[in-house]
Amino acid sequence: MASKTELPLNTLQPYISAILIVLAALLLGFTNGPWYFAAGLIPALVSFLGTRELLGKVRKANEQKCFLDEQLIQSQKLAAIGELSSGIAHEINNPLAIIGQESEWVTHLLQSDELRDFKQVNELTDSLREITRQVKRCKEITHRLLNFARKMETLLQRVDVNRLIEDMTKWVERETKQHNIHIVRRFQKDLPQVVTDAPLLRQVILNLLANAAYAIQKDGDITLTTRLADHGQVEIIVTDTGSGISKENLSKIFNPFFTTKPPGKGTGLGLSICHRIIDKLGGHISVTSEPGHGTTFMIRLPQKGEV
Amino acid sequence: MENLRVLVVDDEADFLETVVMRLQRRKIDAHGVDSGKKALEIVENERFDVVVLDVLMPGLDGIETLKLLKQKKPFIEVIILTGHGSVESGLQGMQFGAFDYIMKPADLDELLEKIQQAYERKRLHEERHGLSGE
Amino acid sequence: MSSVPRLLLVDDEERFRTTLSKLLGVRGIPVAAVGSGEEALAELRSKPYDVILLDVRMPGMNGIEVLAEIKKINPALEVIILTGHASVDAAADIMKLGGYDYLLKPCTVDELMDKIDGAHERKLAREKRKEKASAPQVIAGEGGKPR
Repeated sequence: MASKTELPLNTLQPYISAILIVLAALLLGFTNGPWYFAAGLIPALVSFLGTRELLGKVRKANEQKCFLDEQLIQSQKLAAIGELSSGIAHEINNPLAIIGQESEWVTHLLQSDELRDFKQVNELTDSLREITRQVKRCKEITHRLLNFARKMETLLQRVDVNRLIEDMTKWVERETKQHNIHIVRRFQKDLPQVVTDAPLLRQVILNLLANAAYAIQKDGDITLTTRLADHGQVEIIVTDTGSGISKENLSKIFNPFFTTKPPGKGTGLGLSICHRIIDKLGGHISVTSEPGHGTTFMIRLPQKGEV
Repeated sequence: MENLRVLVVDDEADFLETVVMRLQRRKIDAHGVDSGKKALEIVENERFDVVVLDVLMPGLDGIETLKLLKQKKPFIEVIILTGHGSVESGLQGMQFGAFDYIMKPADLDELLEKIQQAYERKRLHEERHGLSGE
Repeated sequence: MSSVPRLLLVDDEERFRTTLSKLLGVRGIPVAAVGSGEEALAELRSKPYDVILLDVRMPGMNGIEVLAEIKKINPALEVIILTGHASVDAAADIMKLGGYDYLLKPCTVDELMDKIDGAHERKLAREKRKEKASAPQVIAGEGGKPR
């Protein structure tokens, strides 16, 4: 990030150079005549414009670098969390397997004839059934964790992005219509095809649409925009008129298990997976939000697959 | 798309028959079964490339079938079919490895295009794991 | 060739081995259990088995390496891999090496039995086909056609 002390100097630079050159031209004019002054103004103008453009490019490059740095930090964070949770999940599956088996064995023992008259057999069997159910529940959790953490394999094919988004939108629209949520398409015509992983991109779009719909609850709009951005990248923007995300939450939004939904209503893995996917596809994803007004997610994808 | 074999799984007999017939008329080697259980059995014994799977079926429901299908035959690409799927089931389907989805009533040309893309992905996938062709 | 599969269980957790052996035992399946890939290979070289339940994550040789070795010793043996997580890479490796299938831990005994039955059936079917192929052809009146 450009430090606060650098900035004023950067903005003044073109003016300083130009003023110096004008002063030199004036001096030249005084000694040699008005034509020399006029001629002196040309390099002043060239210098001014050139320096300003150069500094503009430097500033843009800096911003881009910060943006990429953030993306990189987030990716590294996710990768580290992924590795940690994968290790834990694997470790837990073994004791879970033993717990499940022991309860199956006890269930078997309770079925023996000797215990037929034992009053509490039914209650014990029921308790064991509950243990088995909970083991299954743990299994689902660990497998979700492992799914999140595993090596993401991408298979690249040519994809019509507008078509892909439209498909996912049609699905979501069935439900959103019922809640008076309108989905507006602003697709750029003739958007070039992108070489990317279609099902992974579908997951991302579906996720963002579902989040947008949830944020709105009812009565609102989701706007989908596609366009060709600079460097041949394709831009996908999902904007909703929902409750928005607070500034503190905004920095955590891509963290795994971070969710603003009530317990049981979402794993919080959705956006972190989206981030991983877009990263794997060689693209960038970012979010801006205004609490009370809405949120915008922006995705950029290279046309030619992962870098 | 020679060699392409498609399996359609739907408990609605009329729909199943119609889709399989229309695919066959377009020279696709298509077969149909009416339950998830049968689908899992048949892929064990015969090679299929793309499965078109109804997500709402009684018995072994679509999502469970999808999960087991991707486990047993990770290279088979699945296209989810639905008359009225919830967004939740769509997300689940994608999460559990579905390639794409199509809504009922299915436009045949659209379905064919998706099947073609799914098949292409299967070939790429097998190539990567050194399992080209069977 | 028995109709009840002879099972070899390979897993490094002792308690897992003992309880699973008991659970399968009451269903009439004879189970021998060892704690490592090396022990499993030694066991397979000395006694007949039909189906092998193999944990993928063990110290020493891991399940995939053991699978490869098993197929060298006796390709007819059916192997079911037990794994904490399935990735497409692992599944592809298992299939390529001739494994029958894999199961995610934790799993119920019923799920296990399904796979064991399936694996055993496949083994029996293959053995039957082999017998048919190598049986001498006797066609009355025409003399045996050489195979």
